[in-house]
Amino acid sequence: MRNFALPIFFGALALASNVAFGQGMRGWRETSFVPTPRGDWAGERLPDGQPDVSGHWSNTIGNHNNLTDPQGPLGVDDEAPRQNSRQNTREPKPRSERAPSRVSDPPDGEIPLKPWARAKQREFLKYLNNPIKPEYVEPFARCAPGGPSKSFMWHGYEIRQFPGYVVFLFDSGNRVIHLDGKPHLPANLKLWNGDSRGHWEGNTLVVDTTNNNSKARLGRTGEFVSENATIQEFFIFDPNGNRFTYQAAYTDPTVLTRPFTITIPNRRITDKTPADDWNNLTFPAKHAGNEPVIEAYERICVEGNGNHGQPAAATH
Amino acid sequence: MNTRAAVPLAILALALSALCATAQAQPRTPSAAIPRGVDGKPDFSGVWQSLSAADYGLEPHLARTKEEPPGMGVVEGDVIPYTPAALEQRAKNFAARATADPRTNCYTLGTPRGIYGNEPFQIFQRPRDLTLMFEFGHPVRTIHTNNTEHPDGHIDFWLGDSRGHWDRDTLVVDVTDFNGETWLDRAGDFNSDELHLVERWSFVDRNTVRYRATFEDPKVYTRPWTLEVLLYRRLEKNVQLIENYCSTLDYGEFYPLPHSGN
Repeated sequence: MRNFALPIFFGALALASNVAFGQGMRGWRETSFVPTPRGDWAGERLPDGQPDVSGHWSNTIGNHNNLTDPQGPLGVDDEAPRQNSRQNTREPKPRSERAPSRVSDPPDGEIPLKPWARAKQREFLKYLNNPIKPEYVEPFARCAPGGPSKSFMWHGYEIRQFPGYVVFLFDSGNRVIHLDGKPHLPANLKLWNGDSRGHWEGNTLVVDTTNNNSKARLGRTGEFVSENATIQEFFIFDPNGNRFTYQAAYTDPTVLTRPFTITIPNRRITDKTPADDWNNLTFPAKHAGNEPVIEAYERICVEGNGNHGQPAAATH
Repeated sequence: MNTRAAVPLAILALALSALCATAQAQPRTPSAAIPRGVDGKPDFSGVWQSLSAADYGLEPHLARTKEEPPGMGVVEGDVIPYTPAALEQRAKNFAARATADPRTNCYTLGTPRGIYGNEPFQIFQRPRDLTLMFEFGHPVRTIHTNNTEHPDGHIDFWLGDSRGHWDRDTLVVDVTDFNGETWLDRAGDFNSDELHLVERWSFVDRNTVRYRATFEDPKVYTRPWTLEVLLYRRLEKNVQLIENYCSTLDYGEFYPLPHSGN
C-alpha cells in the first residue's frame, strides 16, 4: 500500500539525480538574474514591524550540480559510470545562453581557492560519481544539511517569520536567523548551517553567519571553504515581494586567496505556480473556505534512508 | 462566645477566607498571567523541555542501567493497555532496545516522543500555525491552526499530520497519518500507523505547560489511554537550540577536507 513516493524526496538521491532538468522545470527556470536593488520596504509588514516575506520560495536558476555554471554540465569525468539513465544525456545550450556563474565576485566567476584547495576541489569532482573514499561522497547525498548557501540551490523552501526570528525550512535541514541581538554561540561549536544573527535594513535582511563547520560543499562541483569561514548574507527583497536576491560574502583565509560572493536569484511560489516536483512542492490544503491555502509536507530526509533517502510513502 | 472577641475573630475569618480564595483562584485563572499572541490566543512561543524521565519509560520504572534514571511514570493508571500481541512486541522491543530504538539511529523521535525527549524543542507561533523545531535531529513539525483539515487518504509521516483548534485557552490538536516506525520511549513502547492522537496543550503558569496526549490505536491498544507531562520553559540567558543533526555523526569525520600543512 505504500507505493506513492513523494517527488519531494527524490531530491535525496542527490548522487544520481539530474531532476533539475526535468520537464516541469522549463517554465520556472530563467537564464538571467533579475536584479532586486537595496532600498526601502514598501510592502506589507508583520505586527512586529518585519517586512512580511513569509511563504514558499525557490531559486530560479538551477540546482547544485555546478556552482559556477548553474545550467551547464556537471563537468565530471565522462568515463565515470552513470548513476541513472537521465544523467549527462542532455546536451546543454551554449555557455552564452546559460545562466551566469553564481560567483558574482570576483569578476571571473570562480571561487578564489588557493592552489592546494583547487587541487582538492578537482580531485573531489573527479571521483564524484565513483567515490572510492568516504570524503568523495557529497554530504548532501547523505541527507546532510546543505549549508548556508547551497540550501538555496535545491528544492523550493519556506520562510516563516516570528517576533525575533526568520526561519527557513529546507528539504535537508532548517535555519533559524535570530533577530534579537543575542551573542553568537561559543566559537568552538561548529554547525552545518552555522549560527546566524540578523537584522532588517529596509528591504534587506542582513545576516552574520559564524560557527560554520563547512562540511557541506558549495556545489557538487566540489568547491569548499573551511571551518574558519565567516559569511555575511543579504536577502534583498523586491518591493512587491515576488522576488529576492540572496548574496553571501565569504571570508576564509584558510582556503581563499581573497573573499568571494555567491548570488542566487529567488522567486515566490503561490497557489498559481504550477507544481513541478522540484521548485514548487506545495499542495492545496484541504479546507471548507474558498481562499487558496497552500502548504508543504513534512521535510524529513534522513531517517531510514540507508544513506540515500528512503522516500516517504503515501496512498491516496 | 465572648462578643468582644467575636468581631476580631470574624474579621480574621473573612481575611483568611479571602486569602484562601486568592490562593485557590490563581491556578484556576492564569489567563491574566499567561503570554498571548496578537490574536489573543495563548502564546506557546519559547524553548521547552520535559523533566519527566518519560523518554526512558512512560510507565513507572526504576533505574535499569547506570545511564537510565528512574521515573514515576506519566501514564494515567500507570499501565499502557496493550493487546496481548502488542505486549509481546513491546517485550521484544525492550530486549533489543540498545540497538532497535529508532533513536539510536538518529531517526526523528516522532509525535509525541519529541515533546518529552531528552533535548529541548522550540515553538514558534503565528495565528495560522505553530512551528515545533526539535533539537534532536532538527526536524520541524507544523500544527496548523488555520481551519484546514487532514489531507485525504493515509500518508506516512514521521511526525504525523497535525490540525489544531482552540478550546478557550487550550490548544487541542488532532494528529493522524503516522508511519508507525517510531517508538514512544527507550523501553520499547510503541504505536502503529493507525494511531489517532489528541493533544491538549494548556498553560499552568507562564513558564509551565501542561501537555496531555490521548492515544487511540486499536491495532495496538485495547482502549484509549492518556499520558501527561509538564513542559518547563528554558530560562537560561540567551538559551537557543543547538542544531543536532545526529545522523551526520556517522560520517562527519570525513568533512571538511583536511587542510593541515597547507
